[in-house]
Amino acid sequence: MDIKIITEGEDFASRIVQMFENVIHQGHGSLALIFLIGIIFGGIIQYTRVDKFEKIAGFSMLKDTIVPKMLFLAVGLTSIALYFMIEAGWAHYHVKPILWQGLIIGGILFGISMAIMGKCPGTGPVSIAEGRIDVLIGAIGGLFGGLVFTLYYDDFFKPLMGESLGKLTLPELFPGHEHMVVLIFGIVVTLIAIAIPKVEMFDEEDLKRLPDEQRPDRQ
Amino acid sequence: MVRLPWWMGGILMSGLLLLTFSVFGADRPIGASTYVPYFADIVFNLDPEKYSYLKEIETAGAWEGVMLLGALFGGFITSIFITKTFRISLIPSGWKKYKNNSVLSRLLWSFVSGFVMIIGARLAGGCTSGHFMSGMSQMAISSMIFGAVVLVSVIITGRLFYNVEEK
Repeated sequence: MDIKIITEGEDFASRIVQMFENVIHQGHGSLALIFLIGIIFGGIIQYTRVDKFEKIAGFSMLKDTIVPKMLFLAVGLTSIALYFMIEAGWAHYHVKPILWQGLIIGGILFGISMAIMGKCPGTGPVSIAEGRIDVLIGAIGGLFGGLVFTLYYDDFFKPLMGESLGKLTLPELFPGHEHMVVLIFGIVVTLIAIAIPKVEMFDEEDLKRLPDEQRPDRQ
Repeated sequence: MVRLPWWMGGILMSGLLLLTFSVFGADRPIGASTYVPYFADIVFNLDPEKYSYLKEIETAGAWEGVMLLGALFGGFITSIFITKTFRISLIPSGWKKYKNNSVLSRLLWSFVSGFVMIIGARLAGGCTSGHFMSGMSQMAISSMIFGAVVLVSVIITGRLFYNVEEK
């Protein structure tokens, strides 16, 4: 699909306008809807407090399990509903290819940096929005990461990712039993979310602003 | 602390994922790491004709870029009016407790981990949102491999990097 870009120019402002134009013409929802999806996304992350350092870095120390509980629950519920939506023609698959080297090297690097920063690329911006300067510095680091990746993509990173083994989903491994596989996967993942013991690490800075009876660590 | 319980967060996030996936919504998954190289290309004014990666990520990067602006706005509004947790800070309390009291150390590690994080996410082709949430919801094998590697890597790093015993 060709995307019409009307705005000319290569300065910063024009390229921001080009971003909006691109989005308007790419057919993945209206500009307002995508912005709204972002607002809800940021709102959920902020309101559940999973953007806090204590949640992700806390999980890396196994002192907080809110993030995996919430993630597994979201995946378990979505997997069942999404499968039937796709069968009904209300949604499509957007599966990422299996690139063993890319997934393993990328996953290791991603895990190390997630534990150290205590954020991921989705929760980081929400932290910045609530005033965390250290995460802003991290985002600037990320911009340089994105720059280096773009500059050396053809010469270094693309070969490093290895050959694609194609796109594969779990139900495709069990032809004839797709529905059963989907239901089992969804239910098992949901049960894992419930079964993970709930432990929490709190931020004293947040707690000391609350009256005693509202402190979640004293309940 | 004003906040939603984890199960409510999971249910709401699931609703948002389904809305985004559906043809009535955006007909695509939620992702949150492609926008970073996209913004890098805008900030550093790279020529799209010269770099093949720029061409590859143009559509997804722009989409996620707009979503990110929404997330910044949503997070800001929520932190001001609902959770009332907006405050300027340079170092998390958890870092002080389990790592050190140095602001410089925190900022340096933030910068380095931000850099490495984006390289890692782009090598794997996604992050917590794109792979873990959107990918595993489609039961994609690639996302399960990524999820398993990240879980192990996060826990090993946490063990080695922080002083897990309280000071």
